[in-house]
Amino acid sequence: MAAKIVIIDDDSDILEASSLVLKAKGYEVLTAQNPEDGLKLVKESSPDLIILDVIMVEPDDGFFLAQRLRKEGFTIPILMYTSVSKSTGLQFGIGELVPVDDFIEKPISPELLIAKVEKFLKVRTEN
Amino acid sequence: MNSIENIKPKVIIIDDEDALRLGVKKLLQMEGYDVSTAANGTEGIALGIKEDFDLAIIDLKMPDIDGITVLKNIREHRPNTVCFIATAYASYDSAVQATKIGSQGYIPKPFSAEELLNHLRMGYEKRKLILEADRLRADRENRLLELSFERTRLNTIINSIDDGVLVVNRDEQAVYFNASALKYLNLHEIFLGESIADILPPKIREVIEIHFDKPNNDSKSYSEQIELLPDEKLFVQATTTRIPNHDGTLAGVVLVLKNISEFKRVEFIKSQFVSMVAHELKAPIAATIGFLNLLLQSEIEISDEQKTDFLTRSNVRLSSLLSLVNDLLDISRIEMQTVVREIKEISLKDIVTDVIQLFNLDINKKNLSVIFNCEDNLPTINADFNEITRMVTNLVSNSVKYNKVGGEIKIELKENSRYIIFTVGDSGIGMKPNEKKKLFLDFFRAKNEFTKNIHGTGLGLAIVKRIVDSYSGTIEVDTEYGVGTTFRIQFPKLLETEITTTINSH
Repeated sequence: MAAKIVIIDDDSDILEASSLVLKAKGYEVLTAQNPEDGLKLVKESSPDLIILDVIMVEPDDGFFLAQRLRKEGFTIPILMYTSVSKSTGLQFGIGELVPVDDFIEKPISPELLIAKVEKFLKVRTEN
Repeated sequence: MNSIENIKPKVIIIDDEDALRLGVKKLLQMEGYDVSTAANGTEGIALGIKEDFDLAIIDLKMPDIDGITVLKNIREHRPNTVCFIATAYASYDSAVQATKIGSQGYIPKPFSAEELLNHLRMGYEKRKLILEADRLRADRENRLLELSFERTRLNTIINSIDDGVLVVNRDEQAVYFNASALKYLNLHEIFLGESIADILPPKIREVIEIHFDKPNNDSKSYSEQIELLPDEKLFVQATTTRIPNHDGTLAGVVLVLKNISEFKRVEFIKSQFVSMVAHELKAPIAATIGFLNLLLQSEIEISDEQKTDFLTRSNVRLSSLLSLVNDLLDISRIEMQTVVREIKEISLKDIVTDVIQLFNLDINKKNLSVIFNCEDNLPTINADFNEITRMVTNLVSNSVKYNKVGGEIKIELKENSRYIIFTVGDSGIGMKPNEKKKLFLDFFRAKNEFTKNIHGTGLGLAIVKRIVDSYSGTIEVDTEYGVGTTFRIQFPKLLETEITTTINSH
């Protein structure tokens, strides 16, 4: 059975482009455009991996959603899209403060996206 | 008399004896004196007080007033006049009495020319010494006065400056401090001569003590930005400089604390703005690159219809990126004030009419009805045409973009005594109270079911606000979620500079 991925991002163009890339690799992809819908979707579909954009309606929405998901007991890998890298100013304490497993900086390279997704899903299947 | 320089010594002869008076007068004039005479005591006192004589020769026995009284009177008013008593009735008692009340000498009559000149020469030397001493004393008094005034003034100045000043010696004892230093260091008192190492914040101590281990020729200042109170309440720039002894060894260190809290706050807002800009610029680029990657990927099957869709959407994103860059340039232009404004008489009515015309296509597309009311004889305003056009465009653009199909736009121009009032109302989607609060913030865009598909940079109203502020106008907003929004701008009829000139010309 194909692994299931939920992408939550308020930018519909990014959602569509990312979905197509992952769908072409045979993943089942579900999307949501805001934190509330995203949380609902994760609860309903129990995916294998979540991709989360950091800034949605409010800056840090992605950050709070990640915390919320962890608090509710979801241990599945979370990849976070950021459009601001550390070098440009917004600072994140990776691992410590933001409970996500990895970051992908926008614009997203399809190869990198696939590589990162495969890394986490492989680890997960081996477990 | 060789000591008589270019100034003639002034002498008065007070004697009732005509022959003596005239003889002495002649003699002294020949010797280069400026001579006055008085034929009796009364006249002598009057003249001796009126003018400041260097020397006086007073006869002891005169018919009206005796010489001792004359001497007393003159000395009382002219203490620096050197007086001699001349008398034929020389007695020990009268000599002592005369000396007691300030006579320089006692010239027994009859006297030779030589004797008289000797007495006067010595008397004049004394007079010069007295005057010199007087001058020195006055000088010193003046200097002391100046010095104490200077010191008070310096203290007042140092205590009034906003920068904190603290001077410590090698043993870290306070030598000098001002009021601001106490304030910034949050201390009630600093005792001079007491070690203050323990009461200073560690970081302040560090910048002071850094000088203690430096070689004598190191005259560098050290500076550190230190947070003295958390949460941006107090940030100081602490700068320390060594004070050398004469031989170059370290005498002490002067610490200057500059309050840079406001500067830090602005810096923070700026870096926040830069982060936001970076994010906003990257979003459309990321989306476009996302689509381009899809189109370039041979493994992903994409229909022709999808291709056209992706290209169209990329186009939309890049256009919005362009508007964003334009908006950012506008903001920086307004904030940096690099572009000189071209202030001229402009008609708001004309601008509004033109702007409405510009949006005709969108207005028709949404089937909106536009009502524009303009008061008759509305005065022109003095402002920059481009800025005012931009302000009107952004507001009208919003009233079109955020309106419902078949909705209404109501634009009004009227005046009161001080302002032109420009109102733009729409029957659009309105705002929630929490959205209204953030309305004028950079990059704020209300995100809800209505706005999902409306493009904007999030800078439109921020620009309007900046323009209105720069003309000392005001902007207000009335809004109800789902019902509509009305913006009201009050624009001063006279610019501030014009107000000043108007006041001055009256």
